[in-house]
Amino acid sequence: MSSEQDQINKQREAGDRDNARLWRAWRTIHEMVQDRGYILAEEEVKISLSDFVKAHRDGSGMVSKASMKFSAHPSDAMMQRYSNPATESNPNPPPPDVGTIWVEFLEGDNVGIKHMRTFAQYLSAHNFHTGILITSVNITPSALKIIPAVASETRIETFNEQDLLVNITHHELVPKHVLLSKEEKSALLARYRLKDTQLPRIQMTDPVARYLGLRRGQVVKIIRKSETAGRYASYRLCV
Amino acid sequence: MASPRMPKPILKKTSYPATPVRNTSTTISTPSREERDRETALQHARILQARKEVELDILSAIEELLDYPLAGPPHDSSNPSVEDAQTFKNLLKPFQPSDYDDLIVERNIGENCGYALCAKPRVKDPLGGKYRIVGTRGRAKDFKVVERGELEKWCSEACARRALYIRVQLIESPAWERDVAQSFVKIDLLDEPKSQDIVGGLEKMNLDDKEIQDSTQNRQDLALERGDQSFASRNGLVDVKILEKDVKREAEAPSLEEDLSGKLNTMHLSLEGHLPRFEQQKKSLTEDDGDEDMDWKL
Repeated sequence: MSSEQDQINKQREAGDRDNARLWRAWRTIHEMVQDRGYILAEEEVKISLSDFVKAHRDGSGMVSKASMKFSAHPSDAMMQRYSNPATESNPNPPPPDVGTIWVEFLEGDNVGIKHMRTFAQYLSAHNFHTGILITSVNITPSALKIIPAVASETRIETFNEQDLLVNITHHELVPKHVLLSKEEKSALLARYRLKDTQLPRIQMTDPVARYLGLRRGQVVKIIRKSETAGRYASYRLCV
Repeated sequence: MASPRMPKPILKKTSYPATPVRNTSTTISTPSREERDRETALQHARILQARKEVELDILSAIEELLDYPLAGPPHDSSNPSVEDAQTFKNLLKPFQPSDYDDLIVERNIGENCGYALCAKPRVKDPLGGKYRIVGTRGRAKDFKVVERGELEKWCSEACARRALYIRVQLIESPAWERDVAQSFVKIDLLDEPKSQDIVGGLEKMNLDDKEIQDSTQNRQDLALERGDQSFASRNGLVDVKILEKDVKREAEAPSLEEDLSGKLNTMHLSLEGHLPRFEQQKKSLTEDDGDEDMDWKL
């Protein structure tokens, strides 16, 4: 084999590897969006590598991140889970705080204030309730400070591409986390006669909490296998 | 004894007939526990809110400085325009050195020179490698191995100098913890705007505006001097009341009538009436005391 041929082969393999990385992140983010309760078609989530490359490649055969973006609507079940139950004092509760989600992969060696601002502006211009930004590099600290600044208009979450290569919730050591609705939460607290601060806690920065997009005050039911009891459920409050 | 007695609680030490009466009288003067808790909570919330506001200010200052300088070609980093320099200095007031570093990083992402008053793009070394050797031609102490990224932050060494000259003037403590003296931060540029610009600027300036500015500035200074602006007192953390001391007797001028002959040889040492003691005198004093203390030994 000539050295030129060798060089070309090397390049192609490196390109294949990059494509496969992006495909895995793409799969994981779709599974995440689906697990949160947004509507996605099964073939969208379980896309094969070859289909993915075919759909997103540019002229050179490499996958271009510029085309890797999608939106999804919340399902009825999800709306139900986030709804605010009517009470005596407040018979007309506000509508559930969920809406269309927008996911975008960002290209570039660095992500600064300007990228974040344009992303936030795009979200509010198109009325997206939540935005997920996936970058291959770390976001600068001052760009992250924009997230709380625009929190009143739109909810921004950021993920690192590297963290999405595997779906952590599929690992056998990660128990199943189920988000409780507000009604279920109050039923739980009434059943055990607790205040919510008396529950065990889970941090908002916890990887699974980030995967599920938990908000402060929500309760997750964690179901793990137990050698003695078969299944064991515990509850954690997101702080 | 005839009245039916309440069952006496074992655990709680309350419900004695005398105490409730006293309680009602005290609740009027001192706020109840709940009120006090509420006050404390509110105070802490206010502190957090003020901190958030300062952080937001810094963020918007960084965003504004991303596109600096606003002035065109006749001005450059060695001779910035007066307005740019002034706003730059004002915006930097709440900054900590780490915030300034963030600003440099953000400017570099936009491929600008890290110094906010420089319009040139930053240099990019086409060669690879993580480190660079600098100072090979100078003396041995100038020789250094530095990361390539450090050198690529600026358009030139002069700009690096200017930017870092500002960085060392910034105050280390965060803006929401600074006291009055620290909030008088004054930042100098290594290359201040040249004088002809100042003359031009003065001509443009309206005299009336100047007066207004002066009066507001004076008022702010006065407030700062009084401590009104100080963060702690503004939020009621410290409750300071100043009471004037009543002086009853007649005011009389200080006089020099007493005999000074005994003090003459020490008078040149006195500081506003206080006579500092020096080592020798102290020693002689302690020796005197020591003699008395040693008496019991003999």
